[in-house]
Amino acid sequence: MEKVLSRFAAVSTDPYTALTTWKQDTGRKIIGCFPMRIPEEIIHASGMLPVVMWRGNEAVTLGHSYVHNFNCGLTRSFIDDVMKEKLNFMDGMIFYRSCLQAEEIPSTIELNAPPSHFLYLYLPPLYPGIPFRDFLIQELKRMKQRLEEWSGQEITNESLNNSIEIYNKNRSLLKRIYELRKKRPGTIKAREMLAIVHSSMLMDKEEHNSLLESLLPELEGRKELTGDKIRVVLSGGLCQTPHTAILDLIEETGMVVVDDDIYTGSRYFANDVTLGDNPLESLADRYMKKTPPDPTMGDWNTLWTDYMVDKVKENSAKGMVSLLIKYCPPHLCYYPDIRRRFDKEGIPEVLLEVEHEIVSLEQVRTRLQAFIEVIKGGA
Amino acid sequence: MRQQFKINRLATTGLMGPMVDKHWEELRTAKERGEKVAWCSGVPFIFAYAMDMKCHFMAGYSAYCAGRKAAEQILEIAENTGELPDTCSYHRLHMGMAEAVKNGIPVKEDVILPIPDLMIAGRVCPEMSHYAEALYRKFGIEVVGIELMTPYQESDYSFLEPFVERQFKEVLIPKMEEVCGKPFNYDRMREILTVLKKVATIRNECLEYFKKVPSPWTLWDYGVSLAPVIYLMGKPETVPYYEKLKAELEDRAKNNISAISPEEKYRVFWDGWLPWGFLGQFARKITSYGANPISGRYPWEMFPRPDLIDPEGDPVRTFVKALYTGTMLGNNMAKPGLSLMDKIVPEYNIDGIIFFTAKSCRIWKGQMTMLNQMERRYGIPGITLEADMADGKMFSEAQIDTRLNAFFEVLEARKEKRRWI
Ligand code: SF4
Ligand code: SF4
Repeated sequence: MEKVLSRFAAVSTDPYTALTTWKQDTGRKIIGCFPMRIPEEIIHASGMLPVVMWRGNEAVTLGHSYVHNFNCGLTRSFIDDVMKEKLNFMDGMIFYRSCLQAEEIPSTIELNAPPSHFLYLYLPPLYPGIPFRDFLIQELKRMKQRLEEWSGQEITNESLNNSIEIYNKNRSLLKRIYELRKKRPGTIKAREMLAIVHSSMLMDKEEHNSLLESLLPELEGRKELTGDKIRVVLSGGLCQTPHTAILDLIEETGMVVVDDDIYTGSRYFANDVTLGDNPLESLADRYMKKTPPDPTMGDWNTLWTDYMVDKVKENSAKGMVSLLIKYCPPHLCYYPDIRRRFDKEGIPEVLLEVEHEIVSLEQVRTRLQAFIEVIKGGA
Repeated sequence: MRQQFKINRLATTGLMGPMVDKHWEELRTAKERGEKVAWCSGVPFIFAYAMDMKCHFMAGYSAYCAGRKAAEQILEIAENTGELPDTCSYHRLHMGMAEAVKNGIPVKEDVILPIPDLMIAGRVCPEMSHYAEALYRKFGIEVVGIELMTPYQESDYSFLEPFVERQFKEVLIPKMEEVCGKPFNYDRMREILTVLKKVATIRNECLEYFKKVPSPWTLWDYGVSLAPVIYLMGKPETVPYYEKLKAELEDRAKNNISAISPEEKYRVFWDGWLPWGFLGQFARKITSYGANPISGRYPWEMFPRPDLIDPEGDPVRTFVKALYTGTMLGNNMAKPGLSLMDKIVPEYNIDGIIFFTAKSCRIWKGQMTMLNQMERRYGIPGITLEADMADGKMFSEAQIDTRLNAFFEVLEARKEKRRWI
């Protein structure tokens, strides 16, 4: 088991080596996808490997000649990696806008260091009205067509449904691991969980599936955690991976993460795709699901705060840790509601503003300790 | 001692203040007259106007509010009620204003907005909808959402236009009809477009005068004159305004009168927002070097192609065409922005570029890339000024002064090499 977990951790912390090796071994192309909304299944069906763009593993230097230092960590660090030529193994990149900063990245790359294949998609928000779904399907068709050109391989309904099945399987396996953690909190550390999900964004899904299958029974056999830990859920962290050091700190200070609402977590594998005769439409239907609510999607009617409160309650958690990426407008604009709602419900919530560069772990520790005091005071 | 420079003010621009004030006053008092009110981000306010609703325009209101020196007070209300300081300052202004009106917190009277019957979230930028979403959640104000994607490149117009047209026809118009309880007034929309076409055409003639060396007017003057080609759209009095402005510019040009006296030393491209809350302050700083900002991506996005507007035909379709093919919505992206600069820099004899970077708004994309490209393509230097359009807490004046000093030293050193004239 430790072998599987350390493989996942290695991929998550050093995707550069993992992907270069994969490419050498398979001779196949790699396509980077901007996080959160791009249906990877279509890329998979073209025989290429979809990977979700990540926050790099070093401080931003060169990148700051191309992007303002008050952009979020993901966008700054991704540009930095591109400019340092660390991502030359990516044959193609697909972008869309989730926010203004995300909208700036594609042209910065295309004008300065274009990959061989490049696509900018217009993925609509979840506004009510038929034109939105129609346009989404039209964009997915455009995406499919481009991928066929890039790969030289036709994407048939059959191959797409096959990819959907593989992805659904990955989602259901990840869900099972989450269920396990819910039942026996602490048996899987937060940093391990992050590596499990994050590696899924970076690896061939079939390989990931078989690794998960071998991991599951072993995880089930792990010893129960003893001691009195405070149950919490994590939320936020839109496009980027949280720092493992912060996750460790949450646990070191006496809490245990029972569930989460973060992108490199349960948001990634939420909602299966229904198999059917028109797989592109099925993918569109998954895209249009309103939960988990996504603050970049413009859906004013489905309250993200309802979802969060439910998550806390169904997990009998004592509080929620909000991971807010510095300069992330969708989350920043939503946050006042979250604060108000948690106050109203009387559920403790703490805001951790996270950057690509960790400024001070000590400050985070102090905030977490104060949070624990609040929880204990209320208990 | 450094040479002293000053702006020769145009007489016509003095006429704009009362027109703008009237607009906001009519909006402020609309409910007293039983009129329906909308708030709108992006350009769909024309649909509200066509239905005789009084409507605000998010960026226009924020500029007005900042210009009226009311921003600080309203931003403070927003932050006191939980808004986070790194969000778009226009977002915070609206959250603060709604809070003030709903809860009776006193604010400067001339900037008060009535709570709307409908919010039109015209999503040119995602933040433009975040404020509407947040107000819905906080106060339950009705929203209609329209996605106005910024075109990544010209070749995308062809498939973006039909989608936007469908949204206007299938989502927005039915909503307007429902809220107003009457059928949509296509004829009124045509009338508005007719006036807009006329005004934008004369405006384009005025813009030609920026090419003249020395230029008879400044971007600050044009900034004051933007309302007729945006939220004062369709008002008949906007036509004589631009006619007067054109006559005054013609006269200055004939007599070789420069907008900067005693001489126009540098011709600058101003990228990004005009700093509405600090316009006088920035104008004074830039003028003190004898520099004249004469073009920019933002002021160039106000219906630059009136020739494409055909008020006789389908008014919705022609409006959409003006937005996309007409390059109203594209300049803020790097690729279309670069094409615009490639045209403007040589044609307008630009010496240098000031990239005004609003810390709380990243709509003017690609600034760093443009800075590099312009230097490479034309040997034109540029600087970024990190500031904000409304929130004074976001920047340091001393840092801006230092940057400007360094920039104009470079321009001075390169003056010999000035290639245009
Ligand atoms: S949504 Fe947030 S995390 Fe994602 S790119 Fe935008 S600012 Fe960065
Ligand atoms: S982020 Fe910029 S473009 Fe968007 S609403 Fe704010 S000021 Fe306007």
